[in-house]
Amino acid sequence: MSWILPEGASLDFEGLEAPLQIIRGLGGGTQGQVYEVDLEGERLALKWYLPACIARDGGLERRLVASIRATAPNEDFLWPIALLRVSPASRPLIRLRQESFGYLMPLRPPAYVGASEHAAGRLAIGLRQVLRACFGLADAFHALHLAGLCYKDVSLGNLFLEPGGGSILICDNDNVAVDGADHGAVLGTPGFMAPEVLLGQARPGADSDLFSLAVLLFRLLTRHDPLKGQMELAIRCLDEPARRRLCGEDPVFIFDPVDDRNRPDPIEHVAALITWPIYPRPLQALFEQTFCRGMKQPSRRALTGQWKQELARTLDRRALCPACGQENFQASGAPALCWSCASPLPEPITLVLPHGAVLAAPDNELHPHHFDALAGEDLRRPLARVVAHPQDPRRLGLRNLQAAAWSAETPDGRVQPVQPGESCSLAALARIHTPAGPIAVQRPTRPSPAA
Amino acid sequence: MPFPDVKLANRPLHFLYLCDCSGSMAASGKMQALNQAIRQSLPGMAAVARDNPEARVLVRAVRFADHAAWHIESPTPVDQLEWRDLQAGGITAMGEALKLVAAALQTPPMEVRALPPVLVLISDGQPTDDFAAGLEALLRVPWAQKAVRLAIALGHDADLEVLQRFIGTEPATSGRSPRRPLQASNATSLAQYIQWASTAVVGAASMPASRVSETPLEPAAGNIPLPDLPPTVLDPTDDVGPLVW
Repeated sequence: MSWILPEGASLDFEGLEAPLQIIRGLGGGTQGQVYEVDLEGERLALKWYLPACIARDGGLERRLVASIRATAPNEDFLWPIALLRVSPASRPLIRLRQESFGYLMPLRPPAYVGASEHAAGRLAIGLRQVLRACFGLADAFHALHLAGLCYKDVSLGNLFLEPGGGSILICDNDNVAVDGADHGAVLGTPGFMAPEVLLGQARPGADSDLFSLAVLLFRLLTRHDPLKGQMELAIRCLDEPARRRLCGEDPVFIFDPVDDRNRPDPIEHVAALITWPIYPRPLQALFEQTFCRGMKQPSRRALTGQWKQELARTLDRRALCPACGQENFQASGAPALCWSCASPLPEPITLVLPHGAVLAAPDNELHPHHFDALAGEDLRRPLARVVAHPQDPRRLGLRNLQAAAWSAETPDGRVQPVQPGESCSLAALARIHTPAGPIAVQRPTRPSPAA
Repeated sequence: MPFPDVKLANRPLHFLYLCDCSGSMAASGKMQALNQAIRQSLPGMAAVARDNPEARVLVRAVRFADHAAWHIESPTPVDQLEWRDLQAGGITAMGEALKLVAAALQTPPMEVRALPPVLVLISDGQPTDDFAAGLEALLRVPWAQKAVRLAIALGHDADLEVLQRFIGTEPATSGRSPRRPLQASNATSLAQYIQWASTAVVGAASMPASRVSETPLEPAAGNIPLPDLPPTVLDPTDDVGPLVW
């Protein structure tokens, strides 16, 4: 890579009091190059644009200034912090003849890896983490859309995942604009673009974001593309005209309940066939809503709030198969078989809450939205977590993550306090009183091995 | 528990170098510069391949001098590729090289389904054999018609007209697409063009990049929109003399 900014050099920028040291180049593409930089001891990232990119996108600087003023919708965005132009004194050090500029943003921590690593099957990640990442993505777009903004260029390339916990970061926020304000040059990334944008019938906005978001969620959950089925196999050379047909002119969801022209191939598209049945029906229905009716009718697409709600409920239904340990997402009440080993799944202990119910499986969490109807779904501040007993993993407990004590009540009415950080055995309890609200412990009618 | 052990279905992306190894390539270190440029481009190419799980990038190379022959015959995943140096000597059997590639792009041995192949022709001179027959044989093959064909002219003696015929005529509508032979006048620009072809173009052919409104969405300007050429980065080492041809 030929770096535009000299690695190791200290450069002065207009509006910055201290010089910025260019630590190293991190990467580059057709838009520009990204550097790790040091500003008075703080490590940040600097994106520097190529003159061709600036020339093509007349609204770029205006959008960046507006985004910097608006600040990030939530902490999951690597949001622009400051627009930088080099000072006359440092100008000779920039290895470009034409004028250019860049912006500072937070540096991505090393634990976050590109989402394409997950798509390629190279990432050690669990279903819970993938679902949490999906929730984080829906939550981030919810915050963005509620702020009246749209992202325009949702794709696998702009998302980073932390595989241990499933948190996310969204980068390349330089296309973000007020929804409907037509300032941007970007149309999106083929494969993620809504059909109406790909065909040139509409400009990207919040409605097309909803399509792209659903594609990205589908790709994270299934490691497959929602439009690649038999119709893709019929294409020999997958070039631009072919992609336009497949994703724009005649797009058919591979699991469309009515139109079966584009079903997955049992050999080529095995990822979709294995993963799709894992997810509960209400979550599948949101994909059908977006990719069937919503394919041609942008206003019918599933909204960010619907995705948040259903993804959070899916996590609430997580249970582990006693035979193989794999994560399952059971529909309530119905007897079920493990998707992985086909063993029957026992009816689990259920924590019944004022708003919703959470199955007792290690790492499942209770959140404020389970107690407060007015609180939006948020997974950042859990109030309680299901834990396995350190000596006997089959015994499940509930750990108090709140700052105040709970009182745990046995079926015969005895009451015991549970201090912050302590866990209480679910097998022995009928009810737990917490400052957030009551938790009723519902055991299966038939005792399961886990209880 | 781990996510199910499945991964995204992918398609092969065949990338072929056609390298002029005629005697004139020995002059002014051009052969060494080409070897270096390709070798230096491989890590970046491997990174692009890694970032595009929809594509399986496979590399081959043909050398041509008195005759054309495979330098790398079997389609090799880019992360397993070791570039052996090409040696210069002989005349310029470019037509024969095109015939060799034409045979390789027939189905079979080509897969039934693939991404558009990328063909990169690098030459510093004039073909000495029947170029027209070779080109005709190549362009009869459907995969060659679908291919992204690029040409790099080394120095001032390259036959730009021949290279232009290889990549095809420039469509009148395309404003910025580099549908002309790339002219490398020194080692630095050669390395930049090789890097561009092996990273940005491979990326565009395997997984589409972000589109901006001026990118023609109509398929008029070829079957893969080519990315911007690398910017002219002022090279601080220029003064101390890379090769000048």
